[in-house]
Amino acid sequence: MQIEQWQFDDWDDALEFYFREGLTDGLPVVPPTPERVQAMLDFCGLGPDRVLGTEGIRHKQFPAGKVAINAVMAGCLPEHFPVVMAAVSAVCDRSYNFHASSTSTNGIANLVLVSGPYASRIGLNHGVNAFGNGNRANAAIGRAINLLKANFYGSVSQEMDKSTFGHSGKYSFCFSEDLETSPWSSLAESKGFRPGSSAVTMVAANAPLQLETHGDRDPEGFLTAAAHAMLGFGPRNSEVVLVISQELMAYVAASGWTRDQVARFLYEKTLRTAGEWDNWRRMDKLPPDADRERLMGSVDGPERITVLPAGGDAGEFMALITSWGSSRSVTREITVPI
Amino acid sequence: MTSIHTLDPRDSTNPSPAARAIRPASLDGRTIGLLSNNKPHSVDLLRMVADIIGERYSLAGTVEYNKGGHQWPADPSALQDLAQRCDVMIHATAE
Repeated sequence: MQIEQWQFDDWDDALEFYFREGLTDGLPVVPPTPERVQAMLDFCGLGPDRVLGTEGIRHKQFPAGKVAINAVMAGCLPEHFPVVMAAVSAVCDRSYNFHASSTSTNGIANLVLVSGPYASRIGLNHGVNAFGNGNRANAAIGRAINLLKANFYGSVSQEMDKSTFGHSGKYSFCFSEDLETSPWSSLAESKGFRPGSSAVTMVAANAPLQLETHGDRDPEGFLTAAAHAMLGFGPRNSEVVLVISQELMAYVAASGWTRDQVARFLYEKTLRTAGEWDNWRRMDKLPPDADRERLMGSVDGPERITVLPAGGDAGEFMALITSWGSSRSVTREITVPI
Repeated sequence: MTSIHTLDPRDSTNPSPAARAIRPASLDGRTIGLLSNNKPHSVDLLRMVADIIGERYSLAGTVEYNKGGHQWPADPSALQDLAQRCDVMIHATAE
């Protein structure tokens, strides 16, 4: 693959060129020099032409070289690249529907959710301000996917990307699972990967909704609050992620609730009749001959609810993240070079 | 002064542009396919367009197909079938 090179007198010229060409997300990028890109590829032992994935709708191939260029621009270090690679492979799964989710008016962000020991090895933040700013690995890895989406895939804001609102996660949305205080095995293991493995779960994510709870120590209490918040999303969402902060996770652990138990509780608490959803105007108007007594959940089953611990050590908070349209979350193992 | 070199992050492959279908000189005697994306008004819109065309031409008929959702491409085998059965296809989206 021939990759076009540009020459500049200094860094400022290079930066301004990338702005002028519309190759940034509105913030300065790290100039992708051949040396920096090569270091990224060398870390994973890849040639630039190696295809990391083929997107399932337009069948566009993602070569490692172009992915590495965008990762460098995002601020990634070479050790971040295995996570970026797994994320690219995941969004290429047809069920993720990267094309439509990257163009839709819904304005989703590509959430990079990292589980397993590799997260702490590269300094990903799962604690205080987990969804927020201030940590390089989180910021750069999430940003890499969004730069790749715009620069390489062509989903440029206000052009192919027709988000009505969008949200700030479209700059970067990446955090890891809190395995230090979690009573459960990792999300990677719960998705079927071997113990000790690390994995990326990609979610076509709407903006998170933060919930504060008020004194319930019994999981049934604060999870009821979460379920009632889910009712606001309407019926039959593709998937929902529930993130539980440390204080509340301590109560979950003390009560012995499993991950599956939490998901099932939430699902069952959101079951309402089609007539109720219709009355609340949370779905297309039911035709006159529809069965109004049919039960529908906020999602189609408990397996569509991903529950994980993350967030700071103070505050009884949870966060709900819904996924876009028909997109399904996709998990891929992170392959780390030895 | 030392210059710096940087790389292009864009897709540099040039996919061959899709060719436009050959337009028939007349729609008389032709079968028109109406491809809906499942949005409620797309079926109404397609039928309205077919009615207007039917007033102007002597159509052999129409074939309706709903691809089942606006978020996914149509099933390739269904498109193949429509290509066999229809001379012209019209696609519509409508909220």
